[in-house]
Amino acid sequence: MAEPENDDTSCQPGPLAGAAELHEPLLVVEKLDKGFRLNDGSTLLVLKDFSLTIRDIKDKPQIVSLLGPSGSGKTTALRIIAGLDEPTAGCVLLTEGAGKPPRPVRVGDVGVVFQRYPLFEDLNVFNNLIEPAVRSGMSRQAAKDKAAQLLDEFDMLKQGLAWPMQLSGGQRQRVAILQQLMQDRHFIILDEPFSGLDPVNIMNVIELLTRTANMHTLNSFIIITHDVTSALIISDHVFLLGRERDAKGQPIPGARVMKEYDLIAEGLAYHPEVEDLPRFSEIRKEIKLVEFPKL
Amino acid sequence: MATAASKIFGGQPPKGAYLQAVRLIGNPGAFVRANLILIWLALFVLVWIFNPIKAMPYPSEIWQTLGEMWRLQGSQGLVYNTYVTLKLNVVGLLYATIISLVIAYLSVVPLFQPFNKTVQWLRYIPIVGFNLVFLTLFTIGWPMKVAMLTVGMSFFLVTSMTGVIASIPPLKFELARVLGYSDWQTFYRVIVRGTAPQMIDMIAQNAAIGWVMITAIETYNRTEGGIGSQIYAYSSINNLPAVYAYLIVIGVIAILEDWLFVLLKRALFPYTTVAERA
Ligand SMILES: Nc1ncnc2c1ncn2[C@@H]1O[C@H](COP(=O)(O)OP(=O)(O)OP(=O)(O)O)[C@@H](O)[C@H]1O
Ligand SMILES: [Mg+2]
Repeated sequence: MAEPENDDTSCQPGPLAGAAELHEPLLVVEKLDKGFRLNDGSTLLVLKDFSLTIRDIKDKPQIVSLLGPSGSGKTTALRIIAGLDEPTAGCVLLTEGAGKPPRPVRVGDVGVVFQRYPLFEDLNVFNNLIEPAVRSGMSRQAAKDKAAQLLDEFDMLKQGLAWPMQLSGGQRQRVAILQQLMQDRHFIILDEPFSGLDPVNIMNVIELLTRTANMHTLNSFIIITHDVTSALIISDHVFLLGRERDAKGQPIPGARVMKEYDLIAEGLAYHPEVEDLPRFSEIRKEIKLVEFPKL
Repeated sequence: MATAASKIFGGQPPKGAYLQAVRLIGNPGAFVRANLILIWLALFVLVWIFNPIKAMPYPSEIWQTLGEMWRLQGSQGLVYNTYVTLKLNVVGLLYATIISLVIAYLSVVPLFQPFNKTVQWLRYIPIVGFNLVFLTLFTIGWPMKVAMLTVGMSFFLVTSMTGVIASIPPLKFELARVLGYSDWQTFYRVIVRGTAPQMIDMIAQNAAIGWVMITAIETYNRTEGGIGSQIYAYSSINNLPAVYAYLIVIGVIAILEDWLFVLLKRALFPYTTVAERA
């Protein structure tokens, strides 16, 4: 099972691939293992049997969260889903549209907003949006129009000619998100978009992402976070990352998705005042007090 | 005893007063700040003129000699020799820049890494140590001088340029890849464009190192003249004012050159001025 490299025969579409029509799976992560060689020569198993499926929701915005405490392997999972790192075993499959067969993910298929919002420092905000889009085949005029429209939506038109170095942290984050939105890719993963923000700005980012998801229903957002409340407010599905325990209660190495909350079924998705609902508090309490300590 | 601190604070200096006094003295007024270089230069000239130990010729002597050298015609003159040296400097720098950039860029290709490493190691060997090699490869004179300067500067440039490339955060490459850049596009975007201003800094730095090499190289290849050969000739007949006159010429050219690189960097990459202010 634990082969060093992800060989192609193991990465064929599984039975999940051809499932239901209304909820077609768009992204299937199948039994990922990921180990790191440590400096003392031993191997640290970070992910073990990590699987998740993200299905299409017709004409609805889609935001899912991967929730787990610090050090649980969220960034590791993100890097594999984005194709930046190879898993030790397992595979990530992507469907490009209705009726098309799933195929293994490649770098560039999935957009990534990295934790520290890197941008090309030598390009101004406009060109940070336009250049990557043109490189990947968009016409210059179309890219210009789209960049102007997106900047306007995000209230950033004034900063169009600014160098990244001249942006505030929040503005930088927005440009990093827009840069990924420029290209028509279905999935955009955000690594810890709420970290280091005060409560007011967390609400701003939640509002911004929700608005974006509503305007661009072709895009799905995968949010990686350890912030339980924000994850519950923003998502329609929450995947809880954690580890199994042995008989003595010790964690067994290797995290996987332990629990999935379908917030649509719970009536907690697409609800403006979701925080006021009793069910919201219940689930939050459950995750904070029961699930998180186990992880 | 009136120390600086007690003068400033009056009577018994409070705790930490000495440090504060030093800070005050080290923090000049607006006029001094605006003319800092000129003031230091004036101080230097004053010390030079009134220096009781006559290790250097006086400014007046040097100034006079400069005038004489300016009027000298042909291969003896200031203009001709400065031109010869400046030409060598510019051509050598140009070749060294191109060669070093290519070798430094190649350092990202595993196949060429040993080559890059070897070139970096060679910088520990004095350039004149390669004299015989150059003599067999080139005829003495212009080609050999250019080759020596180019090779000598390249050893240093390759090292510093490779260092610049090695210090690019991996995240920059990943950003480009995630945005769908191909390998070549990533190379151009992150390595070539991303490090261009730092490369200009490195070239400017090495142009300065180059002046040390030029005088040595021109001392070995005297047929064409040049500042190095003139310094050698003048010091062998103990004409110190002329030697210092040429040293000052080198200093002025080097400062102007450095200033040109700063202007070039600001004009080509305006975002670096933002970084400087931040
Ligand atoms: N390249 C690596 N080499 C060795 N160990 C690694 C490497 N990358 C990650 N790890 C280990 O894998 C584990 C999970 O790391 P990861 O960065 O995925 O956590 P995370 O869930 O993103 O945490 P955080 O919320 O703090 O960002 C950690 O124990 C970390 O030490
Ligand atoms: Mg992380």
